[in-house]
Amino acid sequence: MADVIHTNYFTLSVLNRFGIELGFGDKSVEEVCKKNNVDVDFFLEIVNAFIDKDYFPKKHLQTFPVKLITDYLQKTHDYYHKLKVPEIENLIEEMVDSCYTQKENIVLLKKFFNDYKQELLNHTHREEEVVFPYTLALEKAYNSEELDNSVIELMDTYSIEIFQNEHDDIEEKLLDLRNIIIKYLPQPKNSKLCNKLLYELFNLEQDINDHSRIEEKVLVPKIREMEKIITKRFTKK
Amino acid sequence: MCKATFIIIEKSYLIRKGLISIIEKIPNTQVIQQFDNEDDLKILVNFESDFIIINPNLLNANTLEIIKKIAKNIQLISLSEKSIVLTKELEWTAQIYLEDTQNSILKKLNTLIGNRETKNVKSEVPEEISKREIDILKNIALGYSNKEIADKLFISTHTVVTHRKNITRKLGIKTVPGLTIYAILNKIIDINDTGKSKS
Repeated sequence: MADVIHTNYFTLSVLNRFGIELGFGDKSVEEVCKKNNVDVDFFLEIVNAFIDKDYFPKKHLQTFPVKLITDYLQKTHDYYHKLKVPEIENLIEEMVDSCYTQKENIVLLKKFFNDYKQELLNHTHREEEVVFPYTLALEKAYNSEELDNSVIELMDTYSIEIFQNEHDDIEEKLLDLRNIIIKYLPQPKNSKLCNKLLYELFNLEQDINDHSRIEEKVLVPKIREMEKIITKRFTKK
Repeated sequence: MCKATFIIIEKSYLIRKGLISIIEKIPNTQVIQQFDNEDDLKILVNFESDFIIINPNLLNANTLEIIKKIAKNIQLISLSEKSIVLTKELEWTAQIYLEDTQNSILKKLNTLIGNRETKNVKSEVPEEISKREIDILKNIALGYSNKEIADKLFISTHTVVTHRKNITRKLGIKTVPGLTIYAILNKIIDINDTGKSKS
């Protein structure tokens, strides 16, 4: 497991999401996963997809239970809100405090990011309140032998199609912010802070990309397939 | 800068080798494929290359079709004796003659590679944002919709959308809040003006 982190330290955040703590000595990935009640296959696919943009075994990922996938997605949400976003906010705050020549510009950035934070929050909130429960209920119906009419009612009120349509591009604004800082912001004296901020923004953007990829290429197709099969079962009846 | 790539189609081994050795004298070039007969040309479509150097004697009805198909993205150079008349059905960018000296071949190739580069560089240089675009940007930043901007400036909504696309391409900024910040930083609007139209 130590080799995983040595190979790419970005995996630290993924380990964190699976609740794996450091200090595992020379234990293998499998041993560490077992000890932490983590599905080894799922962990490996997620980590590999995370560090390698070209590696994305969506067919295999679709075979994992919905619960595993949504749990992971849920944890990435927590990671954004509890860790990443506050970190970025602190950096911007620090920039405001340490800058005298163009405070008003930095305040603009701060406002921009604040709005973005709200958007991200709404986005993840909706997923947690509406989308995830829906996918879990659907999986339950899918796995059960009985045909329960409530699931059909549920599918009438919501479908994964709606999610896909309203699932907006949450990374767009981050890209804008990055471009503004790199290209257009008159450089503040404290370029160290500015670089740090950029680094964090890159980091968050990449993470959200990975996150959206799992939602759109794994969760959505998986649920759409279930919807189809459940509908079929009912029409047969 | 990316490499200039060549495909050579010529029967004679000696001529191919000779030509390759000349091409390789030019830095940043590569001969990615060579063919010695017309039969194999079908797979040509699978290769991406900047230039094809071909002996026109190898062109027949079939090969002509293949070359025509791919010639849109690839520049054609003929390789033959001076006396050979080239078919008018293809668009030739240059001719290399068997009678040419090494220097004249190098000169021809260098010119071609040079042209290709200036062409590429041109498209990569970021364009300045135009006066009209600044007008549009100003209104976007002030919070007006496409329709409102169209009415204000007496142009069609479609034109506004086109301008927006160009602005986004030139600045690398897509969202309205992002464009607003750009407008403020560049004093296109004043920070106190934002959101006026909405109120």
